[in-house]
Amino acid sequence: MADRVVLALGTKKGLFVAEGAKARRKFTLRGPFGPGVSVYSALLDTRGAPKIYASSCNPFFGMKVLRSTDLGKSFKETKSAPAFPKDDGRALANIWSLEAGDGKKDLYAGVEPASLFRSGDGGDSWEMVDGLSNHPHARKWQPGNGGLCLHTILRTNGKMHIGISTGGHYLSEDGGKSFKASNKGVGAGFVPDPYPEYGQCVHKIVGHKAAPGRLYMQNHGGWAEWSGEGGPRPDIGVLRSDDHGKSWRSIAKGLPSDFGFPIAVHPHDPDTVYVMPLVPETRTCPDSAPAVWRSENGGDSWKRLARGLPKKESYFTILRDAMTIDELASPALYFGTTTGQVWIGRDGGEDWECLFDALPPINCVKVAVA
Amino acid sequence: MPPAASITVRVPMPLRATCGGAAELSLAAPSVRGVLDELERSHPALHRSVCDETGAVRRHINVFVNTSHVRDRGGLDAPLAAGDVVIILPAVSGG
Repeated sequence: MADRVVLALGTKKGLFVAEGAKARRKFTLRGPFGPGVSVYSALLDTRGAPKIYASSCNPFFGMKVLRSTDLGKSFKETKSAPAFPKDDGRALANIWSLEAGDGKKDLYAGVEPASLFRSGDGGDSWEMVDGLSNHPHARKWQPGNGGLCLHTILRTNGKMHIGISTGGHYLSEDGGKSFKASNKGVGAGFVPDPYPEYGQCVHKIVGHKAAPGRLYMQNHGGWAEWSGEGGPRPDIGVLRSDDHGKSWRSIAKGLPSDFGFPIAVHPHDPDTVYVMPLVPETRTCPDSAPAVWRSENGGDSWKRLARGLPKKESYFTILRDAMTIDELASPALYFGTTTGQVWIGRDGGEDWECLFDALPPINCVKVAVA
Repeated sequence: MPPAASITVRVPMPLRATCGGAAELSLAAPSVRGVLDELERSHPALHRSVCDETGAVRRHINVFVNTSHVRDRGGLDAPLAAGDVVIILPAVSGG
């Protein structure tokens, strides 16, 4: 019976695993696994016997994929990590996302430089997905500040959505064989054309199984004051789609900033969505007072949630994969900071408490009930 | 191409798990590139940790022949002599 809440915390110095009872009052911490090596992505795979996967991005010896079959008590490297074909000319720089595929052992990995890989054997062997990795746009994508990363692999309602920084949103309607740029309404502030076909700096995309076609996107906002070519581009940072990502519209009105990295959706209500607005220049919380903002009407209006969070003097960043929500009846939100704190927001983010105060800088936070 | 010479490869501690725990490997190769090619055949996991998929030595790995950095000997294709020691070391730059 699934009676534990498990967090996978990818940090700059390895992976940590935290485990608590469903009440989520206390969590115990294990790790670091892959000590000293940055972990950008993790996957809590609850299909069948639970497994945890994590990327271990070793600056010396290259990329590894770690796998645990005992819920994060121990990890071993899989037999191989994604690698470009020898004659491709590209070399793997990082693994930014790990997601489950259709079959029980199917996995996807999104990597840097932006490409997609698939494994059919739980990460022991990998093949490049040509339709995305060799897309005609692929050699024209450009790196964002974090690198040219494929960070979002979202499979929902029979579609596959890919998020690339900076490449934009790509949609597959044939099970991941072919992909089309699908960025109508997704703005960019760093190119002359405010709404290019592709090349946007998408930060994260989430969807909801119960609302076919509904997606939310945190895009690279912060261009309201832009005075260069093409003029200001207000409110392009937080977006919604109701047609499987074929078109997008802004839902940023009412937020203190349309810039941010993560975005999360309530597990039982597709109209409830969470963002963490940041000041674009500093990537820190407005007024140095952290807050998650929640909309309960699909982005029409927003409410600030900050009870228990610091009221001042906080200058951390929350990275694109560092906020998540569990699937319990009254879900809790979790976010990790670049200053090494992990916060839990119980009752859908109404009450916040710091779970861990001094971990290494946090890249990603994943949660599952297992 | 110069003849293959019997040489020793010193494996750094963090990579020994990729070659059965060995601290040293003995093989015959005409150049450092030949050593890397031989490692790719005989110890692919070790090779993947030293070279990326384009065949380039990873950015934060240094390869020495005896006490000289391979770049100071003319690069990967410089010939090796019997008894040379090829030393693989993580650079200080990587972390």
